[in-house]
Amino acid sequence: MNLATYARRNLFRRSGRTILTMIATMLAVFIFCVLHTFIVAWNSGANDAAVDRIATRHKVSITMQLPKHYIDDLRQVPGIKASTWANWFGAKDPRERVPFFAGFAVDHNTWFDVQDDMKVAPDQLAAWKATPNGVILGDQLAKALEVQVGSRLVITSNIYPGDWEFTVSGIYTAARKTVDRNTLVFRWDFLNNDPRSAYSKEKLGWMVSRITDSAHSTEIARQIDARFDAQDDQTLTMSERAFALSFVGGFASVLGALKWMSLVILLIMGLILANTMAMSVRERTHEYGVLRAIGFPPGHILGFIVGESLLVALLGGLIGVVVVWLVINHAIGPAMAENMAGVFQNFFTPGWVLATALGAAAVVGLIAGGVPAYFASRLKTTDALRRVD
Amino acid sequence: MVPVQYNARSLLVRKTTTLATAFGIALVVAVFAGALMLGDVSSVLASAGRADTVIIMRKGADAELTSAVANDYLGLFRGPPQVSQAGGVIGEIIVVVIADHADGSGSSNVLVRGTPPEGVAFRPEIKIVSGRAPKPGTNEVMVGKGIAGRFNGLSPGQSLDLRRNRPLIVVGEFAADGATYESEVWGDLDYVRNSLGRQAVVSSARVRLNSPADFDAYRQAIETDKRFSMKVMRESDYYEKQSQQTASFLAALVTVVAILFSLAAMLGAAITMNGAVAHRTREIGTLRALGFSRFSILTSFLIEAIVLSLVGGIIGSLLVLAASLFVAIPVINFQTFSEIVIRLHATPAVFAKALVFSAIMGLVGGLFPAVRASRVSPVEAMRGG
Repeated sequence: MNLATYARRNLFRRSGRTILTMIATMLAVFIFCVLHTFIVAWNSGANDAAVDRIATRHKVSITMQLPKHYIDDLRQVPGIKASTWANWFGAKDPRERVPFFAGFAVDHNTWFDVQDDMKVAPDQLAAWKATPNGVILGDQLAKALEVQVGSRLVITSNIYPGDWEFTVSGIYTAARKTVDRNTLVFRWDFLNNDPRSAYSKEKLGWMVSRITDSAHSTEIARQIDARFDAQDDQTLTMSERAFALSFVGGFASVLGALKWMSLVILLIMGLILANTMAMSVRERTHEYGVLRAIGFPPGHILGFIVGESLLVALLGGLIGVVVVWLVINHAIGPAMAENMAGVFQNFFTPGWVLATALGAAAVVGLIAGGVPAYFASRLKTTDALRRVD
Repeated sequence: MVPVQYNARSLLVRKTTTLATAFGIALVVAVFAGALMLGDVSSVLASAGRADTVIIMRKGADAELTSAVANDYLGLFRGPPQVSQAGGVIGEIIVVVIADHADGSGSSNVLVRGTPPEGVAFRPEIKIVSGRAPKPGTNEVMVGKGIAGRFNGLSPGQSLDLRRNRPLIVVGEFAADGATYESEVWGDLDYVRNSLGRQAVVSSARVRLNSPADFDAYRQAIETDKRFSMKVMRESDYYEKQSQQTASFLAALVTVVAILFSLAAMLGAAITMNGAVAHRTREIGTLRALGFSRFSILTSFLIEAIVLSLVGGIIGSLLVLAASLFVAIPVINFQTFSEIVIRLHATPAVFAKALVFSAIMGLVGGLFPAVRASRVSPVEAMRGG
């Protein structure tokens, strides 16, 4: 019988307790991953925004619009490859099949050139340009609204009164995973020509530009804003990522709370693990005395206990990571993408979260085992032998 | 007959283990109670609404922010006999502006309300807590205490730009009994809408009725009026609907978290109680030999587990109580994309639920070990199990 055998047999002397502790570790790793997956998913749209696109909006408020001629001024700025614009329509499905989706009135001549990660078949795009009340929507939204190319689609708005009737000209697909597949775009001139839109006549909501060199985006953004600085309506130009964040940014604190909770669960896991190790150590104090008496140095005692704790944490953590990978990336994630799209299109646990969780489990295992191990190794041989539990 | 004293003393003897487990449970209970309070967000948001006040918006608008009502209609809203002559009618303009967080953590939208001179008196709960009320007709504003100091430019003495060369000067800070008004900036109606270039409109109108019971008649009168197309809602219903999305989202989130966390806590309790039973086989055998029934042993270990959890529950409640005094949580209102600051309200109901929750965790976690304890055979245990 060597040291490794002793350690291995120790592990399952109280197999019930060891298994329960492993399940607790697994659960903690699982919760840690779920919380971080949520945070990643919430920010995914912003984090994966194209780097060569910048957005220009009203400096004061997202609800304030800019004069239409701003787009022509903007296109004069050096470094701009292509620009387009959009107005927020506040679109709603009158039959409430989809709780929320983005609806924009956009410039039909340039929108899909700038938003080139929304892919539309060339014939559908041509049809759209020839249809004043044409609409192009994401494949998931089309499915949810039960429309195909050629269908009639009625949408209402929380800004503009009445029913808005469209013909579906095309359906776009996403060229990248994080592109929203639940957006609806229709022609800005259609909105502008409608008497119900007097409030935004010859106005645009925001402008999106592709730039020739993404390394100079900050400089180009400054030039754009400087161009409109003397006007009554000043602008604020930012990366597409920052623009996306300005919508979800208000949730930063809740995400921060989730990060704290992910630390709390690690702490709970540490308490459970330390408790288990302390119980084991107390039961075996007498044995440790025997080991010391026959010549094992204190370091070995320390190693046994820390090693056992680390092993439990790592095994539990490993199972947890596998469960996360199976449950989230292969069941919940795809299901969410299918059914709750628009809310969580990318509910998948990235590898770095799995690795962090496993690393965190190892650290917790070391600390949770370290404390009882330290005291056990410090115990005098005679005291340990005298102790009967 | 249950050996309660024996169990209580056992917990005391093993105080390190007891404390470690109880503290683990305490953390879970704290998360759970925090979740409960966050789930109460709708009541916080809805508390601005009164049953005898209606809000009138353009038909189709979900929120004041997206609504527009012509100024001329305000006089027509005053017409029906249900309108209180004392309170009357006010029209207000709403806009969200972007502001940078004072701590440098990015920016959020802040809701600015342009209100007429009688707008403050219309809501008796508004109290100036520092500085003074803005003078009507000027560019002075007051800021709700929920967001005061959280943003650059939103503390008394500072200013924020509504438009080029149109700064709003903050002269005071106000409280509103915890309602969402506390997350808003209030300025003068005419100054704000002139800055926005929207002179002849308001976003919404509020009408004080003689009594809450007059609502249906008044709504009938306005919504069937052919001169305009308006939607009439009770103010309390409006705020409840506003908060629905944010509240149900938060509630779903925290429920999932609380369930997962409680599983971990139950495992912790189970491990501790299992250890306790394994350790005390001989003692349990002795108790059985003394005449305590299997059922007594089962009950006694269940009680021990529940007490253990309750200790955790109490520590957790204290943690939450401390947190609720200092923590303000900003969340986003999905209707306006603007920030609302929620203060956690530690009510007795929250504590009661937290304690019941911890007792249940103890019961579930302790069940299996207690059953095991009750199965101990006295003869074998005393022989040296």
